[in-house]
Amino acid sequence: MAKAAIDGAPGEKRLLLGNEAIARGALEAGIAAATAYPGTPSTEIIEALARVAKEHGVYVEWSTNEKVAIEFGIGASMMGLRALVAMKHVGVNVASDPLMSLGYAGVVGGLVVVTADDPNAFSSQNEQDNRLYGIHSYIPVFEPSSPQEAKDMTRDLFALSERYGTAVFLRSTTRLSHTRGGVVLGGLPGERRKPMFHRDPARWALLPPYNLEKHRLALERIERLSRELASFPYNRVEGGGSVAIATAGVAYNYVMEALEELGVEARVYKFASTYPLPRDMALDALRAGRVVVVEELEPVIEWQLRIIASEEGLDADIIGKRFFPRVGELNTRLVAQGLARALGISYDTVEPPRVEKNLPPRPPTMCPGCGHRSTYYGVWLAAKKLKAKPVYPNDIGCYTLGFFPPFQMADLTWSMGSSIGIGSGIARFSGEPVIAFIGDSTFFHAGMPGLANAVYNEIPLVLVVMDNRITAMTGHQPHPGSGVGPLGEPRREIRIEDVARALGVEYVALVDAYDVRAVRDAVVDAVKYTRESGRPAVVVSKRPCALMEARRARREGIKLPVYEIDQEKCIKCGVCTDYFACPAIVKEKGVYRILPELCVGCGVCAQICPVKAISVRGESA
Amino acid sequence: MKRGIVISGVGGQGVLTLSRVLGEALLRKGYDVRVGEVHGLSQRGGSVVVFLRYGDRVYAPTVAPGEGDMLIALEMIEAARRLPYLRPGGLVLANRLVLPPPMSGEPPGIEELEEAISGAGVRLIVVDGSAVAEEAGSPLALNMAMLGAAIATRELDLTLEEAEEALATLFRGGLLEVNRRALRGGYKAAEELVEKCEG
Repeated sequence: MAKAAIDGAPGEKRLLLGNEAIARGALEAGIAAATAYPGTPSTEIIEALARVAKEHGVYVEWSTNEKVAIEFGIGASMMGLRALVAMKHVGVNVASDPLMSLGYAGVVGGLVVVTADDPNAFSSQNEQDNRLYGIHSYIPVFEPSSPQEAKDMTRDLFALSERYGTAVFLRSTTRLSHTRGGVVLGGLPGERRKPMFHRDPARWALLPPYNLEKHRLALERIERLSRELASFPYNRVEGGGSVAIATAGVAYNYVMEALEELGVEARVYKFASTYPLPRDMALDALRAGRVVVVEELEPVIEWQLRIIASEEGLDADIIGKRFFPRVGELNTRLVAQGLARALGISYDTVEPPRVEKNLPPRPPTMCPGCGHRSTYYGVWLAAKKLKAKPVYPNDIGCYTLGFFPPFQMADLTWSMGSSIGIGSGIARFSGEPVIAFIGDSTFFHAGMPGLANAVYNEIPLVLVVMDNRITAMTGHQPHPGSGVGPLGEPRREIRIEDVARALGVEYVALVDAYDVRAVRDAVVDAVKYTRESGRPAVVVSKRPCALMEARRARREGIKLPVYEIDQEKCIKCGVCTDYFACPAIVKEKGVYRILPELCVGCGVCAQICPVKAISVRGESA
Repeated sequence: MKRGIVISGVGGQGVLTLSRVLGEALLRKGYDVRVGEVHGLSQRGGSVVVFLRYGDRVYAPTVAPGEGDMLIALEMIEAARRLPYLRPGGLVLANRLVLPPPMSGEPPGIEELEEAISGAGVRLIVVDGSAVAEEAGSPLALNMAMLGAAIATRELDLTLEEAEEALATLFRGGLLEVNRRALRGGYKAAEELVEKCEG
């Protein structure tokens, strides 16, 4: 692809992702720093900024985890600079400790925390609604509806953050972060701020004598915002008529489409600040006597409207989750159905076409040549050799796909790094071996404290680190073990095997993930070691991500070998398709075949074929 | 005026790039455009669907079930799977290809799928986009071959030239050439089929 998505002259119109629009807005606000740990659906914000960081003088960092990312942002703000910190919704859980104190202490330089929520849990363990974090931490929450609004609002929120001395949440959702729309670019600031540390120990040192006062100040700030936010230009009322609808974020889009479909006139209260609600605007909606609230996930607007109505003694009929689902994402049809029920009008839908046939499901799979597949195969062989039925705690990354057949080696996946912690709780009491899996990026993110704990408390856990040298699932962002920075520039590499040894693990094996026998033997030895010593063991199974390597080979014009099956030798045992399950190997009308367009030449199938029927094309004996 | 297009395929086939070029072209033509993508987990060989809506003014990023005007499918199982997004009588443009999901046994055949889709009350055009891409110089240009074919059906408010202009803003050099050849090849392949249908 051509030049960077978010670089361009004022007035130019671009088709930008919501995430790219947020990045551009931050650039227009003159940020000095942007930090994040990658996580769907937030990742493209920092990716877009990294590409233009140098020429715009912005410091861009892939942080080790969200807690560090937000702490960095707080530090930059203390230097009087503007900073953007981005994370997926569950990342805010990791950052929540410094976040709660941030709500008390506030900021100097503007600080925007992007929480990219995931209604429908497309790529997450839950669909938590992080607007509730705003209420919990006294940090106001803002929600744009379109890429254009995401850019403009992000830009303006930095000024608001400084005016009120508070960090702000910009809440996006998957359907904004990953939606493209036309965005007219704005101007970029000329002069840069001079960094200066704002020394103020009474403010920044959160010590007992000062904390209650800060709690009072945080409450006052939220009160003031609820009074003044009605003039925030993105809080607006559209349309006319007697029906009042309160909505925000992506739900607003479905409301507008549904009203058109239903042919209903309504006054649409589009809340840009969903915590706190602008009080005057909320009161205006409540005076209509009946308000239909359309929002995804939790009834955050609805609850606040109920509180305000109760405080003011207003007798308003507030209709929200009674007619709109609290689980999953909304769409135009669900909103039209809900509105029709709330307003007592009819809404007829046609039965959509569908095929009368069971279609085979297509879950995501590990790619051809993926080192996780050969590692799982090796661990499976080890379990067979040990005649054991291990418990397999698993973690969050591409390797989570080991959940699916044929491997089924994810007995649990929880939150980042939990395979070690939860695995320890199981291993302490398990008669069978406990073999936990974790990825390299996840190990640095939240795995190290769990491993230190396992060493210190003598837990007989085998930890297999699926080291593919990159944060793969989110699209190949580097981490401390990758040896490169955000733009591929060389950095010092921290090796996981060194970390494990330094944390006091006595059994540490480093194996090539493609060497199935080596994986098997290392895991067998590791299980024996934990049984005898009662202590943890670590096997690092290393191979760069196959997708990344295949792309690199294509870019550099390197031709990868392609394997083929000798039909005369093949005994049709099905090991390569049913037990190894490489997507490049197919069975068609009883014949096993390697698809040359998918094969990346890893050669693991040649290792596991019991009759040596697989070899490099053109080289078969 | 509002149109809803659904684009489906298998992760890695280039569904996102197809929707991006189409979106760029429609935006340059002055339409309001929303492209609803899904990233992350769905990239790894899984089933992928992208929504594209355009018109004088559009809000929603997704096509609701029963609302789509056209489905562009890079693979036939994924055509059948996403059919419920179409309105009755909508148009399906599918690539003549079945990619069997791993571990799923014997997949349904092309004819079987063609029959099932045609029997669901929609119009179906099947083109060999993979062959067009191969001829253009790269199997990876399948997405552009299908975009060319989609333009030839005249269901999109777009000419081949307009799509080529958008393509040139996103690709350069040899890659641009291959993609342009695939776009034109797809257009030509479908043009003949459409004429046959109408004739």
